[in-house]
Amino acid sequence: MDPTPARAAAFIKHLLSNPALNSLNPLKKEEQILQFLKTNAQSLVPTLSSSQFFPGLAWNQILRLLYTALVQQTDKALKPQLEELIRKKISFSFASEIQPHPIDEDQCRQQMWEHTQRLLQKPESRKSLVGPVTAIVNEFVGRYLEKSFEDRQYVHFELTKVQRLRLEIEDIKHMIHATMLLRPSIQLFSEGRAGTGESVESVLVQPQFAATALDSMKAQLQILPPELLHGGLYSNVSFEEDKQIDATARLAAIFSSRGKNYKPIGRVDRGANSPDRSWFSITRRNYKYYGFDIKMLDEFYKIASENGW
Amino acid sequence: MNDSKTVARRPFVAFLESLVIAAIVLVLVQSFLEDYAVLAGWDVDIRNKLLLAGFFFDLFFTIEFLTRFYYALMDHRVGRYLTLERGWIDFLASIPLLIFNSGPFALTLLTGSGIALGLGGILNLLKVIKAIRIARILRFLRIIKIFRKIKNISSPMAQRHVASITAISVTVMVLCLLFFTFFSSTLQVNGLDTAFSEQQRATADYLAEKTDHPVDFVRALDTLKETRASLLIVKYRGSTLFSRHSNDYYSQYFAPGDYSYLSQNGLELFFDQRAYVSQLSRESILFFVIVVLVVAAYLLIYSPHFALTVTDPIHVMRRGLEETDYNLEVKVPARYQRDDVFELAKLYNEKYLPLKDRTQSEEGESVIQLDLTEVSHILPEEEES
Repeated sequence: MDPTPARAAAFIKHLLSNPALNSLNPLKKEEQILQFLKTNAQSLVPTLSSSQFFPGLAWNQILRLLYTALVQQTDKALKPQLEELIRKKISFSFASEIQPHPIDEDQCRQQMWEHTQRLLQKPESRKSLVGPVTAIVNEFVGRYLEKSFEDRQYVHFELTKVQRLRLEIEDIKHMIHATMLLRPSIQLFSEGRAGTGESVESVLVQPQFAATALDSMKAQLQILPPELLHGGLYSNVSFEEDKQIDATARLAAIFSSRGKNYKPIGRVDRGANSPDRSWFSITRRNYKYYGFDIKMLDEFYKIASENGW
Repeated sequence: MNDSKTVARRPFVAFLESLVIAAIVLVLVQSFLEDYAVLAGWDVDIRNKLLLAGFFFDLFFTIEFLTRFYYALMDHRVGRYLTLERGWIDFLASIPLLIFNSGPFALTLLTGSGIALGLGGILNLLKVIKAIRIARILRFLRIIKIFRKIKNISSPMAQRHVASITAISVTVMVLCLLFFTFFSSTLQVNGLDTAFSEQQRATADYLAEKTDHPVDFVRALDTLKETRASLLIVKYRGSTLFSRHSNDYYSQYFAPGDYSYLSQNGLELFFDQRAYVSQLSRESILFFVIVVLVVAAYLLIYSPHFALTVTDPIHVMRRGLEETDYNLEVKVPARYQRDDVFELAKLYNEKYLPLKDRTQSEEGESVIQLDLTEVSHILPEEEES
């Protein structure tokens, strides 16, 4: 029996048990360890290619082994979490409201879960799930949406008047969460370097690319509402390129990015602005680069400032 | 070898430093109580004990200064000790006090002689008392030493700046008061002490004139008994003609310096000076309160202000420049936004952080929270298994 997978698993387990990673969700831990392996490749190669670890293997092969072990370990923790998220935390009752005919919620959930598992298969889409999952787990959308609806400013107007969502605030939140989970689907249409976890960070795509991807997705996912698929894929298009992007898609893009950059901070330094306020302020200045809707960022910056978030 | 000795000595040195800090706090309390005892009319016994305590504190601080000075001398860093390490405070708040303040008083108490008051023969006694009492404020300089130990701000820069400004303020206040007292003595500026002295001298002259006429003398003495409440005892050729209080009362309520003595033509007069001494104590307490409040104000008001407007924004910017995953903006208070530090902070917030964010995004890498040292610790364990 080949002992190398067991050694790889043991090594990965050791890395995962590092206290520095305790506060991170499984995908973030995975991202951290991949990053660590790549950054320290030169120092690790001599030890890892020794007879006690993976003798006779090249670094790429070792990395592939470790990546496989890492994915297995991550999935053990991640899949139950994601399944719970999709099956219990996200309500799909909105699905029937955003299209002409009713849809069975359970079927929606099932299809979303199956699709998410597909996303986990590809390193690029897997990596792109970090932001959405972190944002959903940390309830970013709900917090900001609630305040936006209290103030009835731009975000509220865009959701209710422009996108014409006749939904309760909770359902809009669920819709944005579902949109966020679909956002990495764009990566299924890009070429990747499978096997080592190396991936291109999610980049903005042209509207035409999103349109082609949408056609393909509609054919594959026939239960999930097309509006939802549209939002998920078009959240990867710059608002500068397409001013017609749904508000839910724009929000999904913003909060996924927030989730990706989120780092739990115990105590904010005296003299520093709060994490959300800082993030929205910085992102406002880079809104063109990220293709975000500046007015939404302005509103959320204001909310973060007022609430000390 | 030397290193191991140094390490072994550390707890002892730390203990001595703590002892010095405790002594400083206690000497401040003692100084306050010494004055308060006068105002509250506490028994001489207690006051004498407080005076003796002051003497032992001064002795302790003198030994501390001499020890530090000796070690500085051995290490060829006397200049550094006296200036940067504030050895001048150690000096001013020890030896002069021991020689001119608590030492003579303690000697008077311990020997029962009137050495401290004997100075009255050379200089104006009240001015001497005042100078001696004022000299006690040198002890307040030690507040500066305590202040340096209070780590209410994490930034060494803020700590140093606030300690410096406190040292300057307290020193200026203490030295101003000392110089003013010194100059008012040498320049014969008339004050309460002069008025007291002249009144006592006039009383003595008045009675001395009457000594040749017994009837007039008795009449004059009767009048003075009623009109000069400060007149305590009148003796003529060794016999006591008048005493306002019993001997027990004197020994219970009159400490050295609380009374004055004049002798003229066989006439001996004792005057009550407690009102004057009380006045000095009031001034001393007032000065003590001022110094404590000034220091507290620096500590509680100025330190946070300095941190808010200088060190905190610098700390945040330093972390942002140094740590890849630290992307918090500097908080820019509206009323200080034109300050140089906050102008810089605005550039940091508005230019640097967005650029850093874009660069990180382009590189597509997140910041790793693992480092190789932690893993190198893991690797040998792997080898063992």
